[in-house]
Amino acid sequence: MPSQPVEASAAAGISAPPDAIHRSLLDELWRESGAASYGLEREQFREILERVATAQNFGLALGAASTRRQQEDFFRGLRLIDLVLARACANGHPGAWEHFLAVYRQPLTRAAIAITGSETLGRELADQLYAELYGLTARDGVRRCPLDSYRGKGSLMGWLRTTLAQRHVDHHRRTRRELPLDDPADGYDPPAAIPKPETPFTDLLLMGRAIEEALRQLAAEERFLLAAYYLDGRTLLEIAPLLHVHEATVSRKLRRVTSGLRKRIARNLQGLGLSKPAAQEALGADPRDLNLNLKKILQISSLDAFQEKATL
Amino acid sequence: MNTTSQLDLHPDAESLNAFAEQALAAPEREQVLVHLARCSRCRQVIFLAQQAAADAETSAQVAAARPTTQPGMWFLNWRFAWVPAAALAAALALVVTLHLRHAAPVPEMAKLTPLSESAAPTPVPQAKESIETAHKPASPLAAKSIAGNVDFAAHRKPQENLAQEFASSAALSAEPGANAGYSESSHAATSLSVESAPQPVSAAHFQPEPAVAAVQMDQQQFSGTLSAGAAAPQLSQKSMQAEVYTAHARRQAPSAGPHMMQQSAPAASFDLATQQQPTGLSASRKANPSKLPSGRAAVSTAIARNLMLEIDLDGALFLSGDFGRHWEPVVRQWTGRAIEVRAKTGLNGNAAPAGGFELKNDAGSTWASADGKTWTAQ
Repeated sequence: MPSQPVEASAAAGISAPPDAIHRSLLDELWRESGAASYGLEREQFREILERVATAQNFGLALGAASTRRQQEDFFRGLRLIDLVLARACANGHPGAWEHFLAVYRQPLTRAAIAITGSETLGRELADQLYAELYGLTARDGVRRCPLDSYRGKGSLMGWLRTTLAQRHVDHHRRTRRELPLDDPADGYDPPAAIPKPETPFTDLLLMGRAIEEALRQLAAEERFLLAAYYLDGRTLLEIAPLLHVHEATVSRKLRRVTSGLRKRIARNLQGLGLSKPAAQEALGADPRDLNLNLKKILQISSLDAFQEKATL
Repeated sequence: MNTTSQLDLHPDAESLNAFAEQALAAPEREQVLVHLARCSRCRQVIFLAQQAAADAETSAQVAAARPTTQPGMWFLNWRFAWVPAAALAAALALVVTLHLRHAAPVPEMAKLTPLSESAAPTPVPQAKESIETAHKPASPLAAKSIAGNVDFAAHRKPQENLAQEFASSAALSAEPGANAGYSESSHAATSLSVESAPQPVSAAHFQPEPAVAAVQMDQQQFSGTLSAGAAAPQLSQKSMQAEVYTAHARRQAPSAGPHMMQQSAPAASFDLATQQQPTGLSASRKANPSKLPSGRAAVSTAIARNLMLEIDLDGALFLSGDFGRHWEPVVRQWTGRAIEVRAKTGLNGNAAPAGGFELKNDAGSTWASADGKTWTAQ
């Protein structure tokens, strides 16, 4: 499962490369980044910035033209020190690697241990990532370093942690699917059966349709809340930082979403031909009688822009 | 692409990390959020990364909160132990001090005040003078000292009762049937019991005045010994009552019978015997009188701590370390004739905690001593 930058397709939408960075701004950013300490000249630094800006269209929507002010804000918002270090490491600069190991080696190992929940697995995961970062892997005869994909949007440490988590989750999912099928206790999640239209319980069938329709009408953040809280079992404290709100706010949002969802389902049931009392009675049905896979419904509830971009 | 299956394309680590760090612009953030809403894999990745970040932050806070000690500053580790250690040492010192102080208790009699001028005994008081002296109100100093003497105050009530008993016994002797001779003998017996000297009854015949005087002298000595000025009115009142009843009995003497004399004599003896129980130490000394080595009566007594000093009629000073059981003479180191000895008093009028005595001669000069043996002029 290849990971793809969100801006990959966005870059394709930009007809012209970004304007040349103003000389004074380039000098200022070059000094701030400390690129000279890793042997990066101004021209090399400018190329790095232009590549990053082209890939992200200066953080704007697809096809949107950026002003010089927006470009400057975009450049100033980058983590230039981390970006320069990552690029220098990708280029194999010894000083950069020395600095990288001194600063990130221990935190990366601790993060791997925290992610895997095991010191052995964590150290193994960290070592594997180091091997990748150092460019021991090659593709098509070209030495590849994952640090090349770092674009300075977030912190380098955060990027390393997320990369570790991706590696761990992908490894876990890959190995889980290799388990024998006669061991359902390990969490193997078979694909949900599609409800058959010949369901004898008409009301339950209508109920399933009403729920699917109601979930599709939810906003992305509301679906994320429902999925993270009810499907993944995450706590309010875990969800709150991702939405940049307080956990009490997450709790209020959840209540609001569930109550609105119930009203919407009742309204959908009435729209499908049930009377209001019958719709209320259907809402009181035992959920176990419903042949519904909410996880699947949430996953296909809408076609998001990211997937659309991927299919372009 | 099959839209019903798990997504094949995911945001890269850069986008997910930027989303978690709130570093994405609104359009990008919305795209990632839409993907996260339906991709359990990316939700798992982002929550794991967030958990690792929180773990690292906690470790950093713990490391920052951990104090760093410099070599050579080991004693700083004990800086919080000095305070309880010092408090413990102070408490121990206090306990030891209190224990040592309680190991040598100060007798209650040390609170007795020196003899007042009004209660100072006279060598051989006349009967009328003694009566007048006994009737004089006590000096303020003596009253003050007796106010602090709980033992004596507790005995004031029994003394009043004894006076009543004495009166009743005298009245009993005056009942019809009693003769005068026996009544006089009754007075003589009273006098003998006061003197504590077994004498023949006939020796006191027709000597009512000396009997009264003896009672008065004893009471005066008693009150003077205790410096109990406030008790003087009580005793003098009792003595007055005794005199009145003696006179009454004398008038009733011709009709008094011998049988009644036998009854009244023990009653009077009981009266005076119980009268000699005012305070603990002096009372025991009165109950078990031990004569001074000189054989003379004591005119002044002082007690402080475990020492007891007495001056006899000749002005000789005697010291006792066992409250009068054994005496030793004190070498004369003062001029004139010692007439009074008293325990040193503090500012509050009570005996000084450190002990010590003062001696006064007949010229009014004062000598002081800490142990009762060595005296220095003041």
